[in-house]
Amino acid sequence: MEFLYYFGEVFTPVSMLLLVGGTVGGLILGATPGLSPTMAVALLIPFTFHLKPVHGLILLGAAYTSTVAGGAVSAILLKIPGAPANIATTLDGHEMAKRGQGAKALQLAFLSSLVGGVFGVLLLIFLTPLLAQWALAFGPSHLFWLAILGVTVIGSLDSGSVVKGLLSGCIGMWLATIGYDDMQGVQRFIFHDALGGGVNIIAALIGLFAIPQVLTMFAKGRHDDSIEAIKVQTHPIGEAIREVFKRSKALIIGTLSGSFIGLIPGVGGQIAGLVAYDQTKKFSSEKEKFGTGHSEGVIAAEAANNAMVGPSLVPLLTLSIPGSPTAAVLLGGLLIHGIFPGSDLFDNHPDVAWPFINSMLIGQILMCAFGIYVASFAAKIAQVPQSIMAAAVLGLAVFGSFSVQQSMGDVYVMMALGTMMYFLERYGFSAAPLVLGLILGPIAESNYIQGSLIAGATDGQFAYFFGGALNLLLIGVVVLSIGYSVFVEMRSRRALA
Amino acid sequence: MNRTQHMVPSGIVAAVALWVCWISYTQQPADAFLFPRLISTAFLLLALWTFGKAVLGLSKAGAGLSMQMMSNLAPGLLVAGIYVFWAAKTLGFYAATSLAFFALLSAYDPAPNNSARTWIRRLLITIGYIAVMYGLFALVLKVYTPRGIII
Amino acid sequence: MRNLLAGLAITLVGLTGNAFAADYPERPIMLMVSYGAGGATDFQARIVTMTAGNEDALGMPIAIINKPGAGGRVGWNWFAKDADSDGYTLGAYNIPHFIAQSIKGGVQYNKDSFEPIANWGADPAVFIVGKDSPFNSMADVVAYAKANPGKLTYSGAGLFVGHHIAALQIEKAADVKMQYIPTKGGGAAAMKSVIAGDVLGGINNLSDAYRAREAGNVKILGVADLNRNEEFLPDVPTMMEQGLDVDNSSVNFRGIMVPKGTPPEIIDKLATTVPEMFKNKRVAGKMNAGGSPMHIMTREQVQKLWKEREETLNDLLQGL
Repeated sequence: MEFLYYFGEVFTPVSMLLLVGGTVGGLILGATPGLSPTMAVALLIPFTFHLKPVHGLILLGAAYTSTVAGGAVSAILLKIPGAPANIATTLDGHEMAKRGQGAKALQLAFLSSLVGGVFGVLLLIFLTPLLAQWALAFGPSHLFWLAILGVTVIGSLDSGSVVKGLLSGCIGMWLATIGYDDMQGVQRFIFHDALGGGVNIIAALIGLFAIPQVLTMFAKGRHDDSIEAIKVQTHPIGEAIREVFKRSKALIIGTLSGSFIGLIPGVGGQIAGLVAYDQTKKFSSEKEKFGTGHSEGVIAAEAANNAMVGPSLVPLLTLSIPGSPTAAVLLGGLLIHGIFPGSDLFDNHPDVAWPFINSMLIGQILMCAFGIYVASFAAKIAQVPQSIMAAAVLGLAVFGSFSVQQSMGDVYVMMALGTMMYFLERYGFSAAPLVLGLILGPIAESNYIQGSLIAGATDGQFAYFFGGALNLLLIGVVVLSIGYSVFVEMRSRRALA
Repeated sequence: MNRTQHMVPSGIVAAVALWVCWISYTQQPADAFLFPRLISTAFLLLALWTFGKAVLGLSKAGAGLSMQMMSNLAPGLLVAGIYVFWAAKTLGFYAATSLAFFALLSAYDPAPNNSARTWIRRLLITIGYIAVMYGLFALVLKVYTPRGIII
Repeated sequence: MRNLLAGLAITLVGLTGNAFAADYPERPIMLMVSYGAGGATDFQARIVTMTAGNEDALGMPIAIINKPGAGGRVGWNWFAKDADSDGYTLGAYNIPHFIAQSIKGGVQYNKDSFEPIANWGADPAVFIVGKDSPFNSMADVVAYAKANPGKLTYSGAGLFVGHHIAALQIEKAADVKMQYIPTKGGGAAAMKSVIAGDVLGGINNLSDAYRAREAGNVKILGVADLNRNEEFLPDVPTMMEQGLDVDNSSVNFRGIMVPKGTPPEIIDKLATTVPEMFKNKRVAGKMNAGGSPMHIMTREQVQKLWKEREETLNDLLQGL
């Protein structure tokens, strides 16, 4: 209960000011396309040079929690996921916004982010030593199987055809191999100069999701959209709270899968939302509603991606290993002040460590309150005429993809991929599995190669990839997941016939 | 109608898959192409399967495109293409974005073109949009956008 | 007449050139780092440039732009090919990384594509093992590798980077065959694999290894440098002390450079100001706090260093 003792530091005026500033700023940065949480936190590092260590960390912690949640705003309203974590949110969230339920979707997103986020931080507070062991347990072979498990999620994402879903996934994996191969430094598939740096994941996300939107609006032509103008429904917050608790199964599955997958260094943060979405869908009694604007989809995805925040810091705080790019930036923020994460942090600097963790707890509440406050205004975006919306989103996509790493090549790739995706979508291909392939491809590849190198030097490929309890467990889950998808597919075919 | 339409995209995807496969199996060093070989094989099989289905007329997913949609899409796609692939770098980000925004708004805004008020409104919206973008990216985030001929 | 015009033009160019250099810098400068945000190079670059806006330094802030990918190749390719040579685009270099990569081939730069400005740090590679490892010295490692050729797995941050060079030198010096495992995701991923026991040992940065040892997770068996590191690891012997002929070729030197073609006046101005900027007390304090060894070198010293490295690396990488 040591952490309670340090709550005082969070409630000093300076800390509160930074906490509120970091949260509000983080939400805005998170809602800006192209600014992933990692970028947002990196942008704030220079400010912490001038602050006391504890204050600097409070600012960074608040910004980290709220940028992840802020990504939901652009995911729901514009269908532009701010980071891979928000991909699953677009699937149902944007459908809801299109029906005028943007306010509801945002409220649900922030409320479930709050629940997930608080749970994640509590895990960080109470179970850190245990979780550290779990995070370390994943070696190359396990991460490889985990990536394969991620691929099986595709069946749930694609409502059209499973084969086209898998094909989209393959296209994504191939796109991920473009550029320099990280292990050997060999150039692969670079057929245009803009691809020299490979396909940047954030730029690709913007292109694949935003550009088809823009082109769809263009394709409707010069028509009067007042005829089909949607009425933006106001949504009382009390109802949103009731809804979240009514959907408690989605909330629980989202929170649990988010926090445990979020722990795994290097992989977790990217796929937590998608895996949670997939699990919730599989356990739901209303499977067919997913993807059409079902509130459970939003709840599961957002609970998961915020639940991941706390556990993703476990490897950093206990072992000094940054488990995610954002954690790496936070590590920089700690080092500047001469604080080494690891046992040193909690033994010698409890006055920094605990206020930092506590501030993430308070930050969740602030984030939720502020998010809900803006939700009703933000939802009005759905009423903006389509002609303005299309042009505005195009501009945002260009600026957003450029600002990821100030590269014109990324903008070209963004536009080219987006245009391609528009035409493919008209014929039953979809963006979500493609992006999943793009994310999982490199994870699967590097871990496969590392694993096979280690295996070659030790006990052989088969023993390495198929031996051990954790490997077998993961393979079992993969088989179950595929089997279940096939079973559902067969049953629905029989029902149709 | 739909059968021919489905054949085009799945044909292109299959051709890309074939190209990827060919590169993966012929390029050196083989070590670096181990994983691409695995993927491209799956890619090619799935693409051929999809193409086969399209040829047999069994593809049903997706709504396809109509001539009307294509002609609606053409001006927007053209402006967007010029904007992204040429104007943004040559003219400068903010100038190109203003022009593209204004052009797209004029092309797709249903308000009558013969009224002066429409044009003033469009101009004002463009200025407002650029002001917000400048404020966000140049002032708050300090993104260094490429400088072109104008700005 | 033509001569007169030409003369005039030259004078004009000369004048504007000088005026340009005198006013330089008149807007913020950008520093390209070819590794991701949060990595050691990025982190140190942010610290050493934090005082750039001071009047006694450049008087204009330096903004860090990350262009990560393929062990730095993406960023350096961009820097050699597309970066403006107007003095407003600086780049961070890592030696021996970019020289080793240019020797290996497949990139669009070599030593002569860039003009060094100044060096800020030197981070030697060290050999680490997990805290429960039976290995307590490099001799133990070599003995195991001799008994089990090709079975000793050890991690490092990729191929043709400092860690890989150290690995090659150790294997050559001890005349053993071990299995080097390059990781994707830099030193942090390589460190994780050692702590988690995925591999038997690893090469890592001195600064990161020092922190991991402070946290009680690893043992450090040797430093691949000419001398011990008195500041952070006075108790860890060098490879040479342990009978392995490994020099400082793998030491990761970090500093600032500009693309070839940058006006000489600007290079001169940067070459005099930047080393002074690195000497700032606050910079030194933050670097020291983060466990990052500083090593300030001037432009001439760096030019000599680059040349020497290219020769040693040419020999080492021959036939790979």
